[in-house]
Amino acid sequence: MLSAVHQLPGAAVFAPVDDGSGRVEVVVRRLAEAIALGLVADGDQLPAELELAASLNVSTVTLRAALAALRERGLVETRRGRGGGTFVRGPADPSTTRLRNRLRELSSSELREIGDYRAAIAGTAARLAALRASTDQVARLHHVVDRLEAATTVGERRRADGRFHIEVAAAAQSVRLTRAEIDIQSEVGELLWLPYGEAVDPQEVVRSHRQVIEAITVRQADRARTLTEEHLDRGTERLMEFHWRLVTQDQREWR
Amino acid sequence: MSDPQVAHVAERVHAIVEDVFHALEDIRTGMEACYRSHPSFTSGDLAAVRPQIFGCLRRLHGIAAGTGVIVAPGVLADRPRWLDWWQAPPEDDPIFLDVDLDPESLDFYDYTAAEWFAVPQRTGRRHVVGPYVDYGGTDTYMLTFTTPARVDGRFLGVVGADVRAARFEALLLGVLAACPTQVTLVNAEGRVVAGNSPRLPAGSLLTREGAETERLPDPPWSVVSEARERAVKLA
Repeated sequence: MLSAVHQLPGAAVFAPVDDGSGRVEVVVRRLAEAIALGLVADGDQLPAELELAASLNVSTVTLRAALAALRERGLVETRRGRGGGTFVRGPADPSTTRLRNRLRELSSSELREIGDYRAAIAGTAARLAALRASTDQVARLHHVVDRLEAATTVGERRRADGRFHIEVAAAAQSVRLTRAEIDIQSEVGELLWLPYGEAVDPQEVVRSHRQVIEAITVRQADRARTLTEEHLDRGTERLMEFHWRLVTQDQREWR
Repeated sequence: MSDPQVAHVAERVHAIVEDVFHALEDIRTGMEACYRSHPSFTSGDLAAVRPQIFGCLRRLHGIAAGTGVIVAPGVLADRPRWLDWWQAPPEDDPIFLDVDLDPESLDFYDYTAAEWFAVPQRTGRRHVVGPYVDYGGTDTYMLTFTTPARVDGRFLGVVGADVRAARFEALLLGVLAACPTQVTLVNAEGRVVAGNSPRLPAGSLLTREGAETERLPDPPWSVVSEARERAVKLA
């Protein structure tokens, strides 16, 4: 089992963490994502702390804090004594397997198509919302992002994030864009909010949405559109990267 | 009111709005009577208000897309929330609007937060909302007219009518087309309800006050007229 962990695609999971700030968070996210995508399987043993800290290029203090956070989320468990160590516990949610399969089966061109369409709809909705939103509607957008920030489960995050995009389209005064956004959310919302493998870090989603609201408030239409497109493109890139990791893992297993 | 064209628009708006609210009166009195005559008021008892609801739909034929009652939480003995709302397809019998009223559900239709419910509840007065994208219920660009129902000071809910924004605009077409200059009807938040120029389509925001603004009393809308010509020159 330990050997399987070392054969990961490009060892990307345990590649050095180069982000200077919030290292614990970055390590947690990297490992949680790998577990969510099934890149490290349920029951796999993680390398010993010293070894893992060295390969991630973080201190053992940082690594221990990260492992504690993962333990709290139920993604790893630590067993003491002989044969002990830190072991992966895959998410119990059966939908995770289904979502992984979908993400594996979608081609990168299909993911790009979805991304292009989302950017077209949400980008235009943001531009028009900046021209047409009322004060009440802006207040509603703030309220939805507050809910997203306070959310504690992936389901709550997915609903609040979906609601944000739908409310922006409604603020654009367009029934058709709103309808399209509802369809998009039901089609890809689950993929974007894969348990423990969010396409974009929830805090970054909150930050990005607040910037869009700010642009809408001051009626900067082009800025609202650009910010929205950039945010969605980041999400699409991550989904394509997840897809890539899943398919390269399969290649490895078939060899 | 110096501009007679603007006065015509204001009169026509007033006439349509009064027509709608007048037609709703029957439903309101029906609902209040229904509440009084049932000590334990249930959703089934609301069947007694159906004749008034269907009568209102007939009266507002070609104007309202739907009418009905929306009950305040806690008023009915058998259900925490309830809508008895009927939509009017042309040439057909009314259709019951089925929405998800389970608070645990993804599609929960939380109407108590909606402006058309919350404002009459708070003010005790009738209210017009829109135009807005009604994505929870009908997926239409809509105006909603509501008025509170009360018995002995207790708020029972609202009775209301939906008028499609496109239909409302069509009803004003005659008076708007008669204006040679740009005339725009805007709601309290400055959103165009109807107008006669491609520069300002319904749903857009009028951010700058026009040369002349005629304020309407109820709903607190305005008719904004500008000196420039209505039409946009076509190349």
